[in-house]
Amino acid sequence: MQLRVSIAAATIIISMTLEAEDYVSVQYLQYDETLNRTSVSAPSLMINKDFGIDYTLNANIVLDSVSGASETYYDGESLDSVSGASETSNDGASGASAFLRGKGLNAKDVEYGNIKYSDKRAAGGLSFTKRFANRDELIVGANYSTESDFYSKEVSAEYMHWLGSSKNSSLSFGLSYQKNEILVSCKENSACDAQSGASEKMKADVLNVQASYFQNIDTKSYAKVSLFYIADSGYLSNPYLNVIRNYKRGATADVLAEVRPDARVAYGTMFKYAYALRNDLSLHLSYRYYSDDWEIASHTVDSDLYYELGDEWIFKLGLRYYTQSGASFYNGTIDYFTDETYASSDQRLSKFDAITYKTSVNYTIAKDLSLNLGVSNYYQSTGIQATYFTTGFRYNF
Amino acid sequence: MRTFLSVIIITFTFFSGCTIDVKPWEKETLAKETMKDSGINPLNKKYEEHMYFSKEASRGGAGVSGGGCGCN
Repeated sequence: MQLRVSIAAATIIISMTLEAEDYVSVQYLQYDETLNRTSVSAPSLMINKDFGIDYTLNANIVLDSVSGASETYYDGESLDSVSGASETSNDGASGASAFLRGKGLNAKDVEYGNIKYSDKRAAGGLSFTKRFANRDELIVGANYSTESDFYSKEVSAEYMHWLGSSKNSSLSFGLSYQKNEILVSCKENSACDAQSGASEKMKADVLNVQASYFQNIDTKSYAKVSLFYIADSGYLSNPYLNVIRNYKRGATADVLAEVRPDARVAYGTMFKYAYALRNDLSLHLSYRYYSDDWEIASHTVDSDLYYELGDEWIFKLGLRYYTQSGASFYNGTIDYFTDETYASSDQRLSKFDAITYKTSVNYTIAKDLSLNLGVSNYYQSTGIQATYFTTGFRYNF
Repeated sequence: MRTFLSVIIITFTFFSGCTIDVKPWEKETLAKETMKDSGINPLNKKYEEHMYFSKEASRGGAGVSGGGCGCN
């Protein structure tokens, strides 16, 4: 009798696991920062289609529309003489930059403020999964994205190998290679004719390697540990950000483009743990450690709690904490840099903390159709605050 | 580097002594949508990763495939 029950239960579970995951998911994101900084509207689509039990095809596309302003130093006097405007602007669509730079400028004209910008980005990805007789998986993928001043192509491959016949643990190894092209206006930055729209095409490549070990701990929990290595090379500066060099109060200053090293090697580890506290309550915890040779080290602790109310509702509460140290060549003050090889005043390379509060709800409206709505708030100690909404649906076909 | 090595050693010590052999018919809870590594909505997970990538100086750990972006 007990054997019969076990076989019946196993049949249910196996049929559940083998059930086709054919779905279309449509999402919309609205991201807004305070102080009229960045705003992003992004509709996206994902399609997942199984072909039998051995093959899966996944495709996704997203269209970002970005506008707003980012903070940097600039020469306010030159800008006024050219455009009569009181605020700089960058039209990413034309490739022209209105960041007026130069050497020996009047120090009193140097300003720190918002640079307006707008851009559109289209990105798509395709992945194909092959499962072998022992249920090992090979996933190959490609991603492509294009902006007015940035183009990216990526290929990736990942192999997952089950350890043992019970399939409670596995090893994965993944690798991706990304080639990026960046259109840079006024790279040499002195005596640059910003209005001409002249630009130079720069390149940057990224190699990403990751190995993971997955383990079911018991009937209610599993853990996964990953090690990763990321190597960037090429033009890694932000073409729209400036630094001030040789600032002499009451006299002169140089407004020049920031310069970052042309290589960056990073490694880290990520630990993930998921535990079903009750049949209707699941907790996901993760910790990531990151370190690179720009002397940035970070710790990220993330948590998500899912609560299922009946068969229709799933509520999520999440909390994420992030802290990083600053890059060795970062300084935000106006009178720090002189002739250093590398210099940046980009706040994203500074030491800061960030916290995110996440909430979302998922409602299954019919057997094959579910709707979702999410709101998250992001607070960074640099002063950035952002709210982002997500909404969409998923249809299983 | 010390933190990095500590995490690896602790993880493997934990795995070597604290796991049980879960039978296929005992995996119903583990197979639930709310237990998935990518959460119940993979697209939203991608959004989140993208947002952090554009606002913070570190990345990695969430897989090798992601695509490029001129946002940082």
